[in-house]
Amino acid sequence: MSEAALFLLGLLIAPLLWGLFATLPRIEFHSGWLGLIVAGALVGIGTRYGSGCTSGHGVCGLSRLSRRSMVATACFMFSGFATVYVLRHLLGAWT
Amino acid sequence: MIKLSAFIAGLLFGFGLLLAGMANPGKVLAFLDLAGAWDPSLALVMVGAIGVAVGPLTWARRQSSSLLGRPMQLPVKRELDPRLIGGSLLFGIGWGIAGICPGPAVVILLTGHWQAIVFMSAMLAGMLLFTALEARRSH
Repeated sequence: MSEAALFLLGLLIAPLLWGLFATLPRIEFHSGWLGLIVAGALVGIGTRYGSGCTSGHGVCGLSRLSRRSMVATACFMFSGFATVYVLRHLLGAWT
Repeated sequence: MIKLSAFIAGLLFGFGLLLAGMANPGKVLAFLDLAGAWDPSLALVMVGAIGVAVGPLTWARRQSSSLLGRPMQLPVKRELDPRLIGGSLLFGIGWGIAGICPGPAVVILLTGHWQAIVFMSAMLAGMLLFTALEARRSH
């Protein structure tokens, strides 16, 4: 297995290993299937075009003082805040 | 050794996301809800993670190979292009809808929630769409 695949495997089984020794923390969803599909597609295509996500840009990139990551993090934080505001406070979703 | 370290890195990342609450979409949405009952605690996760990562990454930037002898591969691109900005804005919209980003999407996949499987399928479809669009662009 490649290193990338082993990294993903570790990430996948982390909750299973956790569950052997302790109760898993709460995982609660607010979206229905349509929201999940739209959100998943946007996250998939957005992170590929943007070359990174919360951990890639937000943690690793900012730690390297990368200007691209600072801009990317500002962009996804802004649109994340704005999306929740619109959905929750203007459209009244998940109330 | 390299393979073991990659596996352990994945495990640690997963434990960290679970422990911090980043793998709980409800908590992520509460963090993003500035105008509601705002839960700022996830900002500390990012600050804490950067605090831990900044030292090793500063060291890594000055090296040509890793401790296990692999070439150091850090991003080299510098320019701020529309793809970076547009892609990140789209990602943020998706993140704001479901409260799930790619790392946690993998962590929650096998926890028995159907929502995690739907999200992951759509995320992979989005990534494949990007690959298909890029392939067309290069022709």
